[in-house]
Amino acid sequence: MPLTDDHRQRDRAEDRDTHDSSAIVFEGVTKRYSDGTVAVESLDLTLPAGELTVLVGPSGCGKTTTLRMINRLETLSGGRLLIGNRDVMSVDATLLRRQIGYVMQHSGLFPHKTIADNIAVVPRLLGWDKKRIRERVAELVELVGLDEALAKRYPHQLSGGQQQRVGLARALAADPPILLMDEPFAAVDPIVRAHLQEEFLSLQRRVQKTIVMVTHDIDEAMKLGDRVAIFAQGGKLAQFDTPARLLSAPASDFVIDFIGADRELRRLALERLDSLELDAGLTAPRDEIVARARSYLQQAGSSGIVVLDEHRAPLGWLDWETLKHADDRARIDSLPLKPWRHRLYMHDNLRSALNALISAPGEVMPVLNDQGRYLGVIDQLQLTRRLS
Amino acid sequence: MNWDWVVSNSHQITAALLQHVQLVGLSLLFGFLIAFPLALLAVRWPRLYGPSLAITGVMFTIPSLALFILLMPFTGLSMATSLIGLTLYTLLILFRNIVQGLRGVSPIVREAARALGYTPARRLFAVELPIALPVIVAGIRIAAVTIIGMVTVTALIGQGGLGQLFITGFTLSFATPLIIGFMLSVALAVTVDLALVGLLYCLTPWQRGVH
Repeated sequence: MPLTDDHRQRDRAEDRDTHDSSAIVFEGVTKRYSDGTVAVESLDLTLPAGELTVLVGPSGCGKTTTLRMINRLETLSGGRLLIGNRDVMSVDATLLRRQIGYVMQHSGLFPHKTIADNIAVVPRLLGWDKKRIRERVAELVELVGLDEALAKRYPHQLSGGQQQRVGLARALAADPPILLMDEPFAAVDPIVRAHLQEEFLSLQRRVQKTIVMVTHDIDEAMKLGDRVAIFAQGGKLAQFDTPARLLSAPASDFVIDFIGADRELRRLALERLDSLELDAGLTAPRDEIVARARSYLQQAGSSGIVVLDEHRAPLGWLDWETLKHADDRARIDSLPLKPWRHRLYMHDNLRSALNALISAPGEVMPVLNDQGRYLGVIDQLQLTRRLS
Repeated sequence: MNWDWVVSNSHQITAALLQHVQLVGLSLLFGFLIAFPLALLAVRWPRLYGPSLAITGVMFTIPSLALFILLMPFTGLSMATSLIGLTLYTLLILFRNIVQGLRGVSPIVREAARALGYTPARRLFAVELPIALPVIVAGIRIAAVTIIGMVTVTALIGQGGLGQLFITGFTLSFATPLIIGFMLSVALAVTVDLALVGLLYCLTPWQRGVH
């Protein structure tokens, strides 16, 4: 494991007790351009160490400027910006940047350098010896999921997605505690983007960097961010919170509008089925006979019954219409059962549950444990109640 | 074609060729040493570009003979006179191509270099110049070929490399030195051009198969 996870996690635990060396603190930070435009106005914001914070907002809201002030690509006009306890303006800008990873929208790879040399840029600037650089490059190629054979190629020979991976590897090369990402997934097509996002999340779980990411895509923000800072026009912070809190307790109409009309659906995506109480539901084993099944239904006043196989996995839905005309002595699995097109497990989110429910026979959806055994059912009413 | 003349004058021919190469090489070198810092200034402060281009452009349009005559009162019939003149002729092409080459570096790449912690000088030499190299070398090729032809004119002020063979041939009404001077001059231009293409190919492995 290249990034010595155990070691790092121990360090972070100690950091939290004392003072986080990689927490980023904005204290009344203002950025005013020479033409008088105010990009960011007295911003107070603390980005916790080891977390992924997403800065999101409409264009011209100052989110990118905010990001770029962290490694001094933009100079502050007022206020203080601290990394750990260090004021960034008191550090040499070039040295500061070598300690902070930076990923750009268009990978920004150097076209005249091979992939390996691109990744090696910061270690070379820091004067590492050749052997150490070579080993580190090999580690990173593996870490970001690149084919080893690509290391000797040039950027123009790679696809957009591959270039983005190289950009990430280059940013991580000197193992900086902080990673800044400016719309890192915006320039790749949607399928590759979704894939890169997933990989990036699992990478972050392993390396636990302090990451600041800018995006204009609220879906991406909600999906990736431990915390999300929503900016309004003119560089004002509208709300800074976890995705769940943004959805359940938006601070203003602006936040509600920005998150969008499908706010409720987004909330569903953030909650899992195991947060609900399942309904036991009405079930029968597959070898039950029709007459008994019919009486269960009549007693329960239900419109149908979940038929289970010998391993308690749902076979299908048996409705009253089918039972009504069947032979009393027949086994119920000889009747036409309506199978469910989706499978729902306890770890699935409520949005998947709603999606499955829309096409579910009997308007109920069985929920399974990890072994695929029946645990109970949910219906739309439960989801609706959950949201209100 | 009188081969006996060629053999008996081989020393003179070789000396003329060497002087020709020397004049071309030195004027390109001096031209580059002037054009390069000027180009850096013009990239850094775009307002300088227009005036710089105008001045080097005017120099390029002065008829060569007139220029040498203008310089004569100061530097006489010396190598300095021809070198100054030839150097001035390289400036426009070299200056324009160095500026274009540096401007052609994508702002994203320049920004990446900054964000990763390159110092400005290191960024120039390790990122911007290598990327600008194909355009810069294209300029050197045009300047070299132009100067190789122009050196012959400086024979009129007693320099001129292969140009001296033209004068010999002309004054003696004898074709052989003219033909030799012409062929060597063309051969030199082709050789230098191919050498520069080959050099560029070796220096830019990343360009292969781009287009």
